Amino acid sequence: MLYARLIIMRLFKAVIVLFLIVILNFLLIQLAPGDPAAILAGEAGAADQEFLNQLRERFGLDQPMYVQLWRYVSGIAMLDFGYSYRLGVPVFDLIMARLPATLLLTGTAFLISLVLGIIAGSMAAARVKKPSGSIIMALALVFYATPLFWVALMSVLVFSVYLDWLPAYGFYTVGAGYTGFALILDVAKHLILPATTLALFFMAIYTRMTRTSMLDAAQQDYVKTARAKGLKPSIIQRRHVLRNALLPIITLAGLQAGQMVGGAILTETVFAWPGIGRLMFEALQQRDYNLLLGIFFFSAALVIVFNIITDLVYRLADPRIKGAS
Amino acid sequence: MSFFARFAQNRGALVGLIILLMIIAMAILAPLLFPESPWRMVQRPFLPPLSQEGFPLGTDTMGRNVAAGLMHGAWVSLLIGLVSTSVALLIGVPLGAIAGYYGGLIDDILMRFTEFFQTIPNFALAIVLVAIMQPSVTSIVLAIALVSWPPVARLVRAEFMSLRNREYVEAARLVGQTNTTIILRQILPNTLSPIIVLASLMVATAILLESSLSFLGLGDPNVMSWGYMIGAARTVIRQAWWLSFFPGVAILLTVLALNLVGEGLDDALNPKLSRER
Amino acid sequence: MRDPLALAISAAALAFTTTALADDPKQGGTVNTIVQPEPPGLVLGMIQNAPTRVVAGNIYEGLLRYTTDLEPIPQLAESWDVSDDGRTYTFHLRENVAWHDGEPFTADDVVFSADVFHRELNPSARAVLQHVESIEATDEHTVVFTLTEPFGPFLLSFEAGTFTMVPEHLYAGTDFRNNEHNDHPIGTGPFKFANWERGTVIKLVKNDDYYEEGLPYLDGVNWHVIPDGGSRAVAFENGTIDVLPSGTVENFDIPRLSEMDNVCVTEEGHEYFSPYSMLWMNNREGPTADKRFRQAVMYAMDREFARNVLWNGLGKVPLSAFGSNARFQDDTLEPYDYNPERARELLEEMGYDGEEVTILPLPYGETWTRWAEAVQQNLREVGINVRTQATDVGGWNQRLGDWDYDLAFTYLYQYGDPALGISRTYLSDNIAKGSPWNNVEGYENARVDELFNEAATAYPDSEREALYKEVQEILHEDVPVGWLMELGFPTLYRCDVKDLVNSSVGLNEGFRDAWLDR
Repeated sequence: MLYARLIIMRLFKAVIVLFLIVILNFLLIQLAPGDPAAILAGEAGAADQEFLNQLRERFGLDQPMYVQLWRYVSGIAMLDFGYSYRLGVPVFDLIMARLPATLLLTGTAFLISLVLGIIAGSMAAARVKKPSGSIIMALALVFYATPLFWVALMSVLVFSVYLDWLPAYGFYTVGAGYTGFALILDVAKHLILPATTLALFFMAIYTRMTRTSMLDAAQQDYVKTARAKGLKPSIIQRRHVLRNALLPIITLAGLQAGQMVGGAILTETVFAWPGIGRLMFEALQQRDYNLLLGIFFFSAALVIVFNIITDLVYRLADPRIKGAS
Repeated sequence: MSFFARFAQNRGALVGLIILLMIIAMAILAPLLFPESPWRMVQRPFLPPLSQEGFPLGTDTMGRNVAAGLMHGAWVSLLIGLVSTSVALLIGVPLGAIAGYYGGLIDDILMRFTEFFQTIPNFALAIVLVAIMQPSVTSIVLAIALVSWPPVARLVRAEFMSLRNREYVEAARLVGQTNTTIILRQILPNTLSPIIVLASLMVATAILLESSLSFLGLGDPNVMSWGYMIGAARTVIRQAWWLSFFPGVAILLTVLALNLVGEGLDDALNPKLSRER
Repeated sequence: MRDPLALAISAAALAFTTTALADDPKQGGTVNTIVQPEPPGLVLGMIQNAPTRVVAGNIYEGLLRYTTDLEPIPQLAESWDVSDDGRTYTFHLRENVAWHDGEPFTADDVVFSADVFHRELNPSARAVLQHVESIEATDEHTVVFTLTEPFGPFLLSFEAGTFTMVPEHLYAGTDFRNNEHNDHPIGTGPFKFANWERGTVIKLVKNDDYYEEGLPYLDGVNWHVIPDGGSRAVAFENGTIDVLPSGTVENFDIPRLSEMDNVCVTEEGHEYFSPYSMLWMNNREGPTADKRFRQAVMYAMDREFARNVLWNGLGKVPLSAFGSNARFQDDTLEPYDYNPERARELLEEMGYDGEEVTILPLPYGETWTRWAEAVQQNLREVGINVRTQATDVGGWNQRLGDWDYDLAFTYLYQYGDPALGISRTYLSDNIAKGSPWNNVEGYENARVDELFNEAATAYPDSEREALYKEVQEILHEDVPVGWLMELGFPTLYRCDVKDLVNSSVGLNEGFRDAWLDR
């Protein structure tokens, strides 16, 4: 019951935030030089004023700004995201077509980074004064400091060009006509490089975070008690230390999950991954306002959903927190 | 123990400091060692490293000296990192201070505002801002600052909340000091340590952000930055690995050094805190 | 205008070259190629940008095609006559042509396409149609165009991308832009639209009922969408992609890719468009308003360097306003060779005071960015104070449309004839805000206007030649814009893809005759 009320409250707040984001972004994007009509005309390599006027009228860009804003916001209220100016396809369809790819990529990267990060972090915590622990931490720091796009480039160079182990780009092998299991395998092969490069940075963060909070937790009284009771160190590590150390990690994971969409812009560009990060960058370059706003709406919605999920998971993991925050 | 002794106890921090000093030296010495513009086309394009005297890192797609670009780039990267962090602090510190000091409704409003900014993916927002303002050093600095102030505001707010009821603050209030004076004179100096630590990490993140923007072609075309060098070399990565390799290493080392120094500062400035962690 | 014998000869010559090359075309196979960027739609006539043209040119057709020497040859029109006064053009259409949905193609489709569809939607066709008084279908397979006055380049205007034939039965009386068939384009061409996975691939399949017996040989063509230049190069390298249309990989990749086994390169197939890169120079204000400054810029730029380093030695350093593929080029003019000394002299003579001049690169990829950097450095070395303004496509359009620039890169198509592709850059009545494709530099010269206008409608060609000669001399002296490069756009393909480029629009209709020797 309590959860239900909490979720409803959070959702209500989320809707308000989403509307504010839509309005802010709408106003922001209008400030960018050039409009979609001029860009479409420009691509055509020839345009007269009549052509531009036709396009602007068609897109409703000849209306005053407040009319455009009102139309857009009232559309969103009815869950109508409008049409992409450039592609002439409903924005909702475009996003839905691209969202799975992004979720697959970021989801995989998220899992890789979380699992490997926690493992590496707890290993480092267990070897706090040993060289092996220092090496893990040094590696984590290096991953943390490496530009994402640079790793992406270097990994394409090494694994696709020189070693020829993995495909360098794309979602699946077009034209191969795979189905069923072969298709899954094919997609998985394409997924390895982008997901790993995207995961490295966050993995480094989780490693450091896990180590710190585990060392932290190891100092707590109940751990000392457990040790005094003579429990095996490995059991203490797993049952008492790691479980408590997970709480701050969950918070961080919620934050990172939302930011992954942003990070995916670079990964998707280098690996030609047909996700919404790339779609967003293209929409921005094309001044495809409707599409861009739609993507912002969805990624902000994702962030909010992740925040709520994080809250719930946090509550499940830590029975001490009860009631409203 | 002195500040530096505590800092130097962390061997990583010492290494970081040395690297950072070398990079700063690079930035300062660049105009002396390579007085010519790094944009100048001086040799045959695609000269590999060490193949010709005067071009230890080779030449790029248009015969420009990579070593000169790397040295001049150090200046640009550090400058963008420092300035954008300063701007972010200028936004984040007052907001956090006001929210944390006054609490209540003001805190609520300011924190909703901060949350709001955090709901839009950072990098996406930075890209949009640069596209709107059109790429230049100013617009890049502003964009980076605008997406990186929320953590500052949150940190400062938390510090202020824990400090605002301390005895010395109460005492200052009793002797009739104004809120502004209390904020600036009493509390702010006591929050500097964590701010400095955070700032050193933010400089690192800003350098990464700038390089990512330049990589996507949203850099300032009038300055030779490391991010630009990688972005420009991306298309020729297979013919000329060195063009993207060296600036990549430079970014890595700088960001690494800043992080190490940040950790060292954390140890040195917050001895109790870092032990607790 | 064209006597039948010459036509027969050129047609025979073409037939000869085709048979000589195609020793035994094999049927079947699918070619994988690239379209970059992803086109906004495929209805040619409604959209005329390059990615739409390259894909949809295989779906739709025009009345005529053009050889690499820009001679018209039959496509949907089997033959044509021109009246002696140069005002009446009669096209005789093929009789066995069907649209992809099975409906017959007739003269009514031509009248509808030209008179209704293009007049409403297509700015480049509109520019030609202003010379047309009436378009009539005299019988089911004959169309007569009557012009208001002779228009020299008229026969050059019927290329598929510019004057696409669209099906009247699907479009007449509808809202063209929201027509339901826009998602499934119906043309008369050798390939039919199959499907389009947005962000991934556009698939075309063979039109089994194509009117040319035996054509096309291929079963289909897949146009892949790969947004990153490096990834496109890898895709070609590892064999996923058979054909790289020009402009789909960065120039720096071309030498490496073309040295691979079984890879062929051709620069042909761009004669119709003859892309010509220019540097807009704002004639209205600032140092660029001074003729001497503009001449100094011409002398300061090392265009040979740009050609060799940035364009792999492809393309030509241009002489003047008329490119080498344009008709009536005067090649006796003295070239503006790289001469920094002369540039400095000119700047001194005009008393250039170091006022800042901005340069706006073309936001179309790395080569253009590098080029702007090179020009910036060239200009700095003769003492011009230059600053580069970074921008994206939207900003570039906006600045040029608002005349808010000093120097700006661009490239324009020449369409074979000065009246179609060249005069538009220099005519003063073509000065209008809002478009980056007209007289953006703001050059005004009454004599130039007069000469260009007269030459467009002069008849026959010898008359035109004299007029164009004078105009070129004036432009060469005034340097209204900087002439950077006649771009060489190479197409890379596996050598076992045969007969790929066989007309002046190259890949835009290349798969009609292509076959796989595998």
